Amino acid sequence: MELPEFRATLDRWLDEHAADLAPDRSLGTLDEHMAQLAKVKRLAYDAGFMRFGWPERVGGLGGSPLLRAYLGEALTARDLVEPGIYSMTETLAPTMIDHASPALAAAMVPRLLSGDETWCQGFSEPGTGSNLAALACRAVEDGDGWRVTGQKVWTSLAQYAQRCVLLVRTGPLDVAHRGITALFVDMESPGIAVRPIETMHGAPEFCEVFFDDVAVPAGRMLGHEGQGWSVAMDLLPYERSTALWHKAAYLQRRLGDLVEAVADHALDPVQVGETVQLLAAFRARSRATAHRLAAGERLGPETSVDKVLVARAEQAVFDLVEAGLASDVLLEEDAAASRWRSEYLFSRAATIYGGTEEIQRNIIARRLLDLGDDR
Amino acid sequence: MMEPAERALFARTLGAATEERSGAALDAALLELGWRDALTDDPRAAVSVLFEHLGRTASTSTALDDVLADALGAGVGADVAMVYPALGRAEPPADEDGGRLVVKGLGTARLLRAGTALVVARGPGGDVGTTVKTAGLRVRPVLGMDPGLELAEVAGTATSASPPSSLRPGAWSEAVSRGRLAVGHQLVGASAAMLELARRHALDRVQFGRTIAAFQAVRHRLADTLVAIESARALLDEAWDDSRAETAAMAKAVSGGAARAAARHCQQVLAGIGFTTEHPLHRYVRRVLVLDELLGSSRSLTAELGRDVLARRRLPSPIPL
Ligand SMILES: Cc1cc2nc3c(=O)[nH]c(=O)nc-3n(C[C@H](O)[C@H](O)[C@H](O)COP(=O)(O)OP(=O)(O)OC[C@H]3O[C@@H](n4cnc5c(N)ncnc54)[C@H](O)[C@@H]3O)c2cc1C
Repeated sequence: MELPEFRATLDRWLDEHAADLAPDRSLGTLDEHMAQLAKVKRLAYDAGFMRFGWPERVGGLGGSPLLRAYLGEALTARDLVEPGIYSMTETLAPTMIDHASPALAAAMVPRLLSGDETWCQGFSEPGTGSNLAALACRAVEDGDGWRVTGQKVWTSLAQYAQRCVLLVRTGPLDVAHRGITALFVDMESPGIAVRPIETMHGAPEFCEVFFDDVAVPAGRMLGHEGQGWSVAMDLLPYERSTALWHKAAYLQRRLGDLVEAVADHALDPVQVGETVQLLAAFRARSRATAHRLAAGERLGPETSVDKVLVARAEQAVFDLVEAGLASDVLLEEDAAASRWRSEYLFSRAATIYGGTEEIQRNIIARRLLDLGDDR
Repeated sequence: MMEPAERALFARTLGAATEERSGAALDAALLELGWRDALTDDPRAAVSVLFEHLGRTASTSTALDDVLADALGAGVGADVAMVYPALGRAEPPADEDGGRLVVKGLGTARLLRAGTALVVARGPGGDVGTTVKTAGLRVRPVLGMDPGLELAEVAGTATSASPPSSLRPGAWSEAVSRGRLAVGHQLVGASAAMLELARRHALDRVQFGRTIAAFQAVRHRLADTLVAIESARALLDEAWDDSRAETAAMAKAVSGGAARAAARHCQQVLAGIGFTTEHPLHRYVRRVLVLDELLGSSRSLTAELGRDVLARRRLPSPIPL
């Protein structure tokens, strides 16, 4: 199916099923958001929409990734899903498709698309955030598989997840990124303990995850032994293409909500103009990236520009929210005010997760401007 | 529409022309190379390619006159000298009442040479376009911040040489939008040239026993410059896909803002040498300041956008995926 037809069919379906798709009650807690996400994915999967843009060998219906981009945009623009928790699908399904054995990908990807399962991404550790290549969570070979021991931290949605795309060290530390392997781990495995962490925006978005001699079968390896770094690097362009397009739709919606809700003269027109421009520039960039992905181009370090732009746009939008709706953000307790407050606080993390703003600029300097090493 | 191969050839020949020539010699070369045919045939390709090159080389041309004349339907067969709004403004550069025009604006070098100029004036019955004799107006060559840009200032009262023709509503705004895209591309080209100068310098200059490109403060300034340039490029592209004046205005504003950021960062990285006239940087710094103000500055366009959004309580609706 081509995008115009998909758009028209999907829009009609969303209109007709608006009541089924709407949240059962107003969404506050992360539990409620996760339940809503699972419901919407299930309905969209059964109606076929969630399967477009994914290859047939993993239960998809084929077609351009633009169809996925539009689906997430439409769901976000109608405020049916929150794009942050939805983005795990866009990030982790392509990783499975590219790097898991065909049988594993075929068995697992439909569970993620249909909303039956949640997956998480276990990269960061207490000792390694930006310097991911120094990670220490260790896997040793054991007969026909691996045994994993170590700790991950800030693993988003781990408390809901059935599976984890996990980076582990299988070689010596001194070979840095060449000693890393990617595994697809069942979160139910004996030896895994998950502890949600309270965050400043009020939702336990992420967790500490402890691995104590956890058995992982050999068939759960993604890519080859020692190739985990490239699995992780291949995932980033996905995190920075379709998923960011969904974020653009979300920011467009919330900025629109703000200018509708704000009192007269509460906002500085220059700050409004600057924010609208930042968002428009980010959206234009992301649109071009979505089209490059759809044209089969291999995305690479240039998506760091998209990442810098989304973070700036998101923080600018919520700076404006804080300026224009100060009493909601700072004082009030009703559902709308709590939501603005939580979103404002969450926007502060936009320059941290998925590679900090500084790390993105390092990548731009080294890879796009060819400035050589920084020492 | 140009085929990709045709476009690449056009880009190469225009690139060479803008590198080798400037001013009247460049204008003559552009005519020879078929710039005006390209403009009517494929405005997007022609304008983006030529103006990006003009920005990169800091060469001077009067081709912007062709862009506006073409957009106004005045034809580009002859050398039409346009009158532009005064600095920082975007309304028609004249007021019309009963055939009398009060003109205040800017022009390119063409205005200094030509006997007549095309003026769009705002009158009681809407916008009119008319040709006026330049002899009756005060036309002064502009030196100022960027003498190399060869602008002219024009003011005075004139009577039309021909009966004014009414313009259809929106015609002036469309012409301004075209002009904004052209100047936006020029700003982006100039920004890219500044970035390249600073990048080369960062890789060559050694301090404290290493190239200054090794210092993160330097790297991050240059990275931010690239991000600014790429956002301007993305919006310019989007504005060509989208015909609305609002998008072209945003693209111009963001291009101007990017150029100012590029000037600030690159000047800092080039430091002492970049402050001399022996180094080319100053030509770009001067040029982007003036170009940012032409047809509406980043500052004024941004404030205007903000006021519009607040008045309508609605965001500009973006073009679909
Ligand atoms: C909301 C949220 C969700 C997250 N979800 C996940 C997840 O699902 N899975 C996961 O694996 N991780 C997740 N993370 C973790 C995230 O990826 C890390 O926080 C991030 O990579 C930064 O690591 P750090 O916090 O250890 O900071 P550090 O790396 O310690 O950095 C601290 C500061 O130093 C700067 N810095 C570090 N190195 C450099 C350098 N070379 N040059 C310049 N500056 C530098 C950083 O930019 C930062 O400002 C999440 C984080 C947040 C906030």
